[in-house]
Amino acid sequence: MSGKHDHKAFEGHMHDFEAHIRAVEEDLEYYRAKRFEPRIIYLIRRGVVTFSDLLKARVALKRNNQFFKPRKPQGKNIEARVRYLEEWLDAYVKGIALVSARAVEAMDMVTEDNRKERGDYDDFFKIQKKEHHGTLEERMVNLEQDLKDYQGLLEVFVQALIKRGWSTREQLQQRWQQLHEERPWAGGVIVAKAWTDPAFKQALLSTGREALREMGVHQGKVGKLVVVENTDKVHNVIVCTLCSCYPYDILGDTPWWYKHESYRTKIVQNPRACVRDMFGLEVPASKEVQVYDSTSDVRYFVLPQRPAGTEGMSEEELAKLVTVDSLIGAGYALEPLQQKKAEKLGATPEAPRVRPD
Amino acid sequence: MESTNRKYKIGDAVMVAVENPTGNPRTPHYIRGKRGVIGAVHGLLENVRDHRNIHNPLYTVRFDLSEVSTCHDQDSIWVDVHEEWLSELRLEERN
Repeated sequence: MSGKHDHKAFEGHMHDFEAHIRAVEEDLEYYRAKRFEPRIIYLIRRGVVTFSDLLKARVALKRNNQFFKPRKPQGKNIEARVRYLEEWLDAYVKGIALVSARAVEAMDMVTEDNRKERGDYDDFFKIQKKEHHGTLEERMVNLEQDLKDYQGLLEVFVQALIKRGWSTREQLQQRWQQLHEERPWAGGVIVAKAWTDPAFKQALLSTGREALREMGVHQGKVGKLVVVENTDKVHNVIVCTLCSCYPYDILGDTPWWYKHESYRTKIVQNPRACVRDMFGLEVPASKEVQVYDSTSDVRYFVLPQRPAGTEGMSEEELAKLVTVDSLIGAGYALEPLQQKKAEKLGATPEAPRVRPD
Repeated sequence: MESTNRKYKIGDAVMVAVENPTGNPRTPHYIRGKRGVIGAVHGLLENVRDHRNIHNPLYTVRFDLSEVSTCHDQDSIWVDVHEEWLSELRLEERN
């Protein structure tokens, strides 16, 4: 990763096609090489499926049997094509979540199994990621082909699971429906409440998930939740240098750069330079940067400072100022004018995807 | 879930082991052999979706950035470390 174009505070800006394509490329390779293929290998090792099952499923697969229905881009312009690739990636990620859920149940898998299998602790096991080159046009054409190929394997894997009796089409369809209804992004409402309700803020900082339960927000279930507060003296940043632990059960899918080797390495070597170079964030010298490396059973997010000029705003309006970046420490919460501008450009805080764990 | 049986308390100076004492791999290399201070005590935590069994008590250890990196900014890195990786730092080792 080099240069300031890798990631910007308003990554959702549709006019920055390069950034969008980069995000799809990085995420697609991440999910293939870290989430899907290691899982297949794990299941092959244990005889849940075999290579032969996959081959047979491939041969037997008829068009009307396909689980994932291919779509078409809504228009020929570049924006429509970029959105199409993003939606396709989203379907791929959900597809992995779908088969993973079955695999987890069938094999009693835990996340730690997958970390070993995908080489988080031993480079020997790592699956090589593809590198991307060429013009924007060439990269988009390549992405279409990759998505087609990768989804093809996913499709075959689903057929093999059904064929081997690990799941039924009905079960999978039901789960598929659920995956489209789940929306775990609760960052905005949590922060807005903490900004307006001092008792809640205190509870959130001292009890984590317990405070969320009282608030009625789904409180997630992975590990202990710790919320760290930004102040005039401290700017907090979150990372997981071992893999990419993240409170996805509350904040939704992880941004691609959070999982990227470059961020995970640099943020603990030189935090100020890292947030400046990657996110354009200058942390004033008056603040100490505190980086939290979530290496075990604690999941963190940052309580950003309430921006200036937000007096009298409702919780609902305040919630819109909260970006994913600001909850990781890669940015500040938006000022009202910034938010208006971002909204105009179609860059609302993303509703992140469901993550396959 | 939290245990009352913890070896360290907030403010204790500790040293991270260089070698893996039990096989739990979740201590990153850049803090091994480094000195820090206990910043938070979490005790025993259950995380059934993540791993089997319960690990030893967990702490958040605060490291000066300059202890774990060549950067000399007055910033800090806070890392979650399990008890078996830590040892008490003797006075003369603290400097």
